[in-house]
Amino acid sequence: MEHRSHSAQPSRSRRRPHVGRRALAAAMALAALALTACGGSTPGSAGADGEVTLQLWDTDTRPERSANLKQLIDMFEKKNPGIKVTYLGLPTDSYMQKIDTAIATKSTPDLLTPKASDLSALVAQGALAPLDDRFAKGGWAERVDRSMVDITKAAAPDGKLYMTPATSLADAVYYRKDWYDKVGLGAPASWNDFFTAAQKLTDKGSGRFGYTIRGGAGFFPQFVQMVYPQAGVASFFREDGTSTLDDPAVVEAAQKYVGLYKTATAESDLTADFKAMVAQFTAGGAGMLSHSIGSYPTITKTLQPAAVGVAAPLPAADGSTVLTGRVTTGFAMFNNSRHRDAAWKFLEFTMSQEGNSFWAKASGYIPGNLAVEKESWVQDSPVLNAAVAAGKAPNVRFLNQPYYLPEFNSITNTDMRPDWQRVLQGQLSVREFLTTWAAKLTQAQQRYQKLKK
Amino acid sequence: MTTSAAALRQRRRRDRNWHPYALIAPAAILVLVFLLYPVASVFYYALQNYNVTLPIYNGFAGLDNFRAIAEDPLFWDSLAFTGRWVLVEVGLQFVCGLVLALLINQSFAGRAVVRALVFSPWAVAGILTTTIWMLIYNPSTGAGYYLAEMGLGSYGTSPLSGTTSTFWAVVLAELWRGAPFFAILILADLQSVPNDLYEAADVDGAGRLRKFVSITWPHIRRAVVIAALLRGVWEFNNVDLLYTLTGGGPGHATTTLPLYVAQTAIHKHDFGYGSALTVVAFLILAAVTVLYLRMTRLGREDT
Repeated sequence: MEHRSHSAQPSRSRRRPHVGRRALAAAMALAALALTACGGSTPGSAGADGEVTLQLWDTDTRPERSANLKQLIDMFEKKNPGIKVTYLGLPTDSYMQKIDTAIATKSTPDLLTPKASDLSALVAQGALAPLDDRFAKGGWAERVDRSMVDITKAAAPDGKLYMTPATSLADAVYYRKDWYDKVGLGAPASWNDFFTAAQKLTDKGSGRFGYTIRGGAGFFPQFVQMVYPQAGVASFFREDGTSTLDDPAVVEAAQKYVGLYKTATAESDLTADFKAMVAQFTAGGAGMLSHSIGSYPTITKTLQPAAVGVAAPLPAADGSTVLTGRVTTGFAMFNNSRHRDAAWKFLEFTMSQEGNSFWAKASGYIPGNLAVEKESWVQDSPVLNAAVAAGKAPNVRFLNQPYYLPEFNSITNTDMRPDWQRVLQGQLSVREFLTTWAAKLTQAQQRYQKLKK
Repeated sequence: MTTSAAALRQRRRRDRNWHPYALIAPAAILVLVFLLYPVASVFYYALQNYNVTLPIYNGFAGLDNFRAIAEDPLFWDSLAFTGRWVLVEVGLQFVCGLVLALLINQSFAGRAVVRALVFSPWAVAGILTTTIWMLIYNPSTGAGYYLAEMGLGSYGTSPLSGTTSTFWAVVLAELWRGAPFFAILILADLQSVPNDLYEAADVDGAGRLRKFVSITWPHIRRAVVIAALLRGVWEFNNVDLLYTLTGGGPGHATTTLPLYVAQTAIHKHDFGYGSALTVVAFLILAAVTVLYLRMTRLGREDT
């Protein structure tokens, strides 16, 4: 039977193995294509003429910032012929996922722009290169603000320097000067002034609210900004590792803060993130906004600078001032970069007077370079000037967030938020909320202390 | 001569044995690499403590993750919400889809345009759908603001930040996208109903309801069963719309099980626990699907 069919179509049968081989080859090629398509390009590839190309990933992609960063890169490239930097902007709210994937697949770039709050997660994965030796050898310790270096080191679980302390943020309370004038109020000088103003500025019938409370993503830094200085508490943990979140003064301050919701804020603030808050403030829906100094350039793009006031840090009942939101933002390099010397040159540039001055000014951040701090543009910016002055004032304490705790970000960002929203909705009491989460933070801190010993 | 012929035959047989595998290989390799391997790795990590930010605690966990799930109130809450979400969504999508399909199956002027309009939400990408609805629900630029301008409702409110309104706000958005799917499938079967059946029914004096029950329904039943199953599975696994519209909030009010998985694995880097949750979701879906197909006797009709 088989034989007969063979003699009926001899030529087709002879060609078959050929077709099979070709099909297999095609299949292999396809599969290979599909596999290579998934991999990223190798970082830090060197060009044929010995030119080094560094890849920079930015964690905070906004049009203005991207433009500034590209300009910074241009300045660097002009000074360092032979080194090229390519820029890739990652989405602000999900950059960590992309970086985690890159670490897992060993396809990290050379350079990154992390925040201090990202360091512990990155260091735990062994992703970043420590900079201490290079920093000391370059003599940067004398040229960069000491407190910023310390804050940056404190943010890493092992106390090493993983990021150039290029710039720093600080918290600020913005207020509409024109609204204040209309109701006959002066600049807020105490917490009482602040709460009175929030109620007085509110006119629900015309869609104006005194304040905008952050109920959505990133609620915690703002909660800290508005509660801890009010309570006069300047640390997250006591000596024994217990959290101060359920400290009676903190609970009382938090209750006052939560009391603003719906009485002096929009109901929709329950889910507001920073974009929603800034939009509300600039669109004339809210009279006051708590955020970092970094949003000043954005705000004054829409509102007249004359209409925007920046409140000086408000003192607690005992007269002391607690400063929050002093988060350094800088540049880091990855451990598996093949051009670490070139990458370090870029990191140095971000701390040098030329690079640091441009970058801090364009971003609206406090510069880390001590010479830049004295430049005239810092004195001329109301928000920066206030922040720098506040940092140097007597009777001031800094509240540093425990970014060295690997769980800190996920507890305060992801885990606490749903409960916080329930607090705002009145389904959970402030005291219960703070007691529950104080216990979780205490557990994390004590575990960390035990490991450190 | 005979030996060489035998050898030739043998070689040919070998070639022929080899062919089918070569032809299947591309598909098999792709399935292995992109389906079986990821699924197997989820089962593997479900038995591990695996958190990339806390590497010191990583290691074999046995069934610890599953024990933790049994005692995790968030798991049970999200599972209950998932059940409610699937039932309400599939139920409403079926009703709306059926009504739409019956309407556009009629002949009237401009039917082609109306059909295109009915199907268009299905053609819109998921992320676009949520963007559209986020703009509608936005407190300062959306429908709420303009209603407040007209004196209806108050400023600074959004359906997405109310206590009970959030659920119905997301249900409406998903309904807008999902109902056309039912309508498309049902319409396809409606068109295959021979017109003489209706004519015969008219002769027999059957009313509209009678015609629907005895002629239309038997014809579209299979499409409805399949569509309901597909939509059920998709709604169970719905992440994009809920993630972008509410992120599972406010509180945990709109957290489905897959959303809880996303939060655990992606935001908290706890891939061990996230994998265990995924395994549980997988088993639940598989069991429900088998049960559903048995109850609707779809398999038996096929034979």
